[in-house]
Amino acid sequence: MEEFFNKIKESFTDATLEFETITIKVDSTEWIKTHQNLRDEFNLKFFSWLSAIDWDNEVSVGEAPKESVSPSFEIITCLSDLANTNLIIVSTSIAKSDPKINSLVEIYAGANWHEREAFEMFGINFENHPNLEKLYLPDGYEGNPMLKSFELISREVKPWPGEVDVEGMPEESESEESKDG
Amino acid sequence: MVNALDPQNINSFSEASVSVEIETEDMTLNIGPQHPSTHGVLRLVAKVDGEKVHDVRPVLGYMHRGYEKLAEVRTYPQITTLVNRIDWVAGFSNEIPFITGAERLMEIEVPERAKYIRLILTEMARISSHFVFIGAYALEVGALTPIFYAMEDRERILDLIESVTGGRFHPNFNRIGGVKPAAGAGPTTKKDIQDLPAGFYRDTKVAMQKVIEAANQFQNLIGGNEVFKKRTKNVGVLTVETAEAFGVSGPILRASGVKSDLRTQTDYLPYDQFEYDIPVGENGDCYDRWDVRVKEMVESAKIVLQAIDSMPSGPLQAKVPKVIKVPKGRTYVRAENPKGEMGYYIVSDGGLGPYRLKVRTASFSNISILPNMLEGALLPDLIAIMGSLDFVLGDVDR
Repeated sequence: MEEFFNKIKESFTDATLEFETITIKVDSTEWIKTHQNLRDEFNLKFFSWLSAIDWDNEVSVGEAPKESVSPSFEIITCLSDLANTNLIIVSTSIAKSDPKINSLVEIYAGANWHEREAFEMFGINFENHPNLEKLYLPDGYEGNPMLKSFELISREVKPWPGEVDVEGMPEESESEESKDG
Repeated sequence: MVNALDPQNINSFSEASVSVEIETEDMTLNIGPQHPSTHGVLRLVAKVDGEKVHDVRPVLGYMHRGYEKLAEVRTYPQITTLVNRIDWVAGFSNEIPFITGAERLMEIEVPERAKYIRLILTEMARISSHFVFIGAYALEVGALTPIFYAMEDRERILDLIESVTGGRFHPNFNRIGGVKPAAGAGPTTKKDIQDLPAGFYRDTKVAMQKVIEAANQFQNLIGGNEVFKKRTKNVGVLTVETAEAFGVSGPILRASGVKSDLRTQTDYLPYDQFEYDIPVGENGDCYDRWDVRVKEMVESAKIVLQAIDSMPSGPLQAKVPKVIKVPKGRTYVRAENPKGEMGYYIVSDGGLGPYRLKVRTASFSNISILPNMLEGALLPDLIAIMGSLDFVLGDVDR
């Protein structure tokens, strides 16, 4: 992994290796070029997945980020090579006001369904996608469920029972270590 | 008037009929979502011209349960219960990459013994998943008998999983830092061990021998069957290039001749301690995909037998804080599940639950090649090809 990381670092100087995961951040205008480069020069031909993260300070489900973030969509792809030893996470940020990015379908045919999923779940437009339709959600469904602002109806109706357990725990007990069970 | 039955005229007639081109409209054939061979609720909209498939459009979402959203409102220990149900045929395997990811972010070193128990149960889940495939696939291509054998053999494995975890399909057995003390824990033949149920080693050895026998039996019963060969050989050939671009992994990729197995290539579990082969196919057709899985079962059984013999002693749990808070960070952990690469991309913000959890499932990518593979195939081959991909809808829709 170190060897591959050093090789990546020559081309992408801001590459990071944290928790055994190599990540590179690229500008959204370089999205296509980077993937073409990674596929052809680094032999990362295996398209594992594409997804997105909704960064927002106001969340209606889950926990808000502890430090304030600038609202944006982060788009992430995961590529690896055939031998499957080298793996890289490619990340880019796009504005929430106009969420669009070029489709990767021409470089990796497998991006098709992943992009359709990100389209319906986050409302991101993938330009030049051959068939940008809903994948999971039924026709006529409104809203993008994976947005942090999208509420979980079950949670609205009834508080999550598991929350009781969590609240009952002391806040600062990390020093107290005990065995589970 | 020309006499059509006169042998002299036959040639001219058949030529005439060839030169006439009949244009027919494609028929739209809807398969599923309740069709039994779709392994759940997959719907295919196929455009067929007679027996030839022109175009196939899979319609997903009938089993979409929104795990990625649900994970955002749950704590890490609660998510293990959720992820069990992604690929329900091999529930145990789903827990491993998630738990490993959380442990990696928390920088917890899992005791060797817990790792071995995880490994044994993962391999058992693989065997049980492949048994389901072998039985169900034979059924789909027209052989009724093998599924009864396969289910009986699988039951033995499920009994073992149940004896340790307490659950047949959804063990929910992994804890951050190790595994939970086994359900039927009691004294065993090895005196220092109190955590696996009595007689587990003995029963496992018997069961693994049975698995090896069963695999041989299936090789003869199904693999040697002329009808089965005719239905599957050179049908649905998948090239390596297509497989790569679509992210097809697992036995399907190996059947196309790629020796790629995350068990040897990554270190999420101590697979490097054991000797085993990685079966690969030659042609990448349906028969190879079937064959690779049968051979894989034998290898899994060998791994389990070796693991039983070299089982380390020690604790089952590392020391973990009472309240599981995962430090800020991101990691992607992947594992070789029965159906292919399964991975979790965990984005933690230092809270009780992940800020975002991306679940990469094998079946989703594996069936995304269906339109590609089925174009131009014959209609009867559609079921044969689809079945050979061995997908589970829970794994596709999540």
